[in-house]
Amino acid sequence: MYGADVEQVAIELNEDPQKLADFEARIERGEKIEPGDWMPEEYRRQLIRMISQHAHSEVVGMLPEGTWITRAPSLRRKLILIAKVQDEGGHGQYLYHAAETLGATREEMLDQLLTGKAKYSNIFNYPSLNWTDIGTIGWLVDGAAIMNQTMLARSSYGPYSRAMVRICMEENFHKKQGQEMVILYSQGTKKQREMIQDAITRWWWPTLMMFGPHDSDSPNSGVLIRWGIKTRTNDELRQEFINQMVPDLQACGLELPDPDLHYDEGSKNWITGSIDWDEFWRVVKGDGPMNKERLEARNKAHDDGLWVREAAAAYAQRQSELN
Amino acid sequence: MMADTQWPRFMVFQKMNGKQPWQHNGTVHAPDLEMALLNARDVFMRRPDAVGLFVVPDAAIYKVTLEQLASEAELPDSVEFSEEREILVFAKPHEQSACELLGSVKAKSALQALKKGQSEWGDSKALWWWLFPAEASLMNAEAEAESMFSAAREKSYKNSSEYHTVTMMRQLHSKGRLEED
Repeated sequence: MYGADVEQVAIELNEDPQKLADFEARIERGEKIEPGDWMPEEYRRQLIRMISQHAHSEVVGMLPEGTWITRAPSLRRKLILIAKVQDEGGHGQYLYHAAETLGATREEMLDQLLTGKAKYSNIFNYPSLNWTDIGTIGWLVDGAAIMNQTMLARSSYGPYSRAMVRICMEENFHKKQGQEMVILYSQGTKKQREMIQDAITRWWWPTLMMFGPHDSDSPNSGVLIRWGIKTRTNDELRQEFINQMVPDLQACGLELPDPDLHYDEGSKNWITGSIDWDEFWRVVKGDGPMNKERLEARNKAHDDGLWVREAAAAYAQRQSELN
Repeated sequence: MMADTQWPRFMVFQKMNGKQPWQHNGTVHAPDLEMALLNARDVFMRRPDAVGLFVVPDAAIYKVTLEQLASEAELPDSVEFSEEREILVFAKPHEQSACELLGSVKAKSALQALKKGQSEWGDSKALWWWLFPAEASLMNAEAEAESMFSAAREKSYKNSSEYHTVTMMRQLHSKGRLEED
């Protein structure tokens, strides 16, 4: 459908063909769509779905790392980790705002997260089992996220694109602090080398899954690319990430858990073995190692904060009565 | 017992240094202006070297886009005040710039302020205009500025340039080990 001409798409979506054509022409010229501008309902719906999922991912992403703050091995690493986790919370705020400009409310979005209806990045349903996981998450997970977010910084929707520009700038610190840790541990003591190898072995495949299903199994890709929300496909981004990471990880003396991994001279690509999509879908559907814990932790934080919200609201109410 | 909400939305504006105009930064949710200012500091002042911050209820802002201006019939209504007020006029001049303060005008409604703003600053290509009464906003007190903004300046470990990973990778690729410093 989304390779189809605009008339056809307008009929499918029940939109005004002239307005849709003007909208697509704006995107073609590289203009940003802003809140208040005309947009097809499907554009709005897809953006709310994507941006709110992205916001939830930032918020849930604080959990696997936050758990290590009290156990950081030095004051410097602790300061860095606190700052990183705080950044992720801030990124969630930027993104919830971008979704709000499309008419989604904060209450709806939070409700969907807390009741388990909304999705967030699958990667956070895996546990962080040793300290070097923190470095691995920074270099691999944030590195993969930056690749996706750099593309989204060029997205056709103004508020999403601007949130991404700012997030990418801050994420670079996240990636590099993680990379520094992985490099140092990979060149460290025997125990440190064992720990970092264990972490890389566990996080490699779930990180590759972060880019989403193969293009052939990605139902939303067509419309997202047609309207400039995304400009590159899941498989393109994943391949670029693999090509960047494999030589660097190997230079650190780290082994990747993939006996089929090889360099293809013809395409100049590193080719991996096949990704276990059964595992991916199992975890997406709620049966991953940490899905239940993550949801419980978010609900507990929300419930524990109720008295703060009530007290602040009561204070605001009283102040407005006094004035 | 009150309903458990996420509170109203406030727009956040900041000034980076003496020369730059006030710019829109983002939004926060809060029960009142005072908490909105504190939340804005927590969410947005983790890095930038700002000298000022203010918040205004989102509901108090009159917003129009270039697309709406092109078809005047679609302009949203604005509240008529009983007397003239100082209205702050913000606009986003072009894609690469932030939404920034052009200045203020005296007007009896945001719509009237928009007309005055357009003739004063004449930017017919601005992507959007935001207008609101100055009195609806809350700015940080001068005396609070240092404690609000200094923390971000000192935390240099938040800069990616603090991490020499490019050099480290070069050493690993060429020598197979890190050089001692």
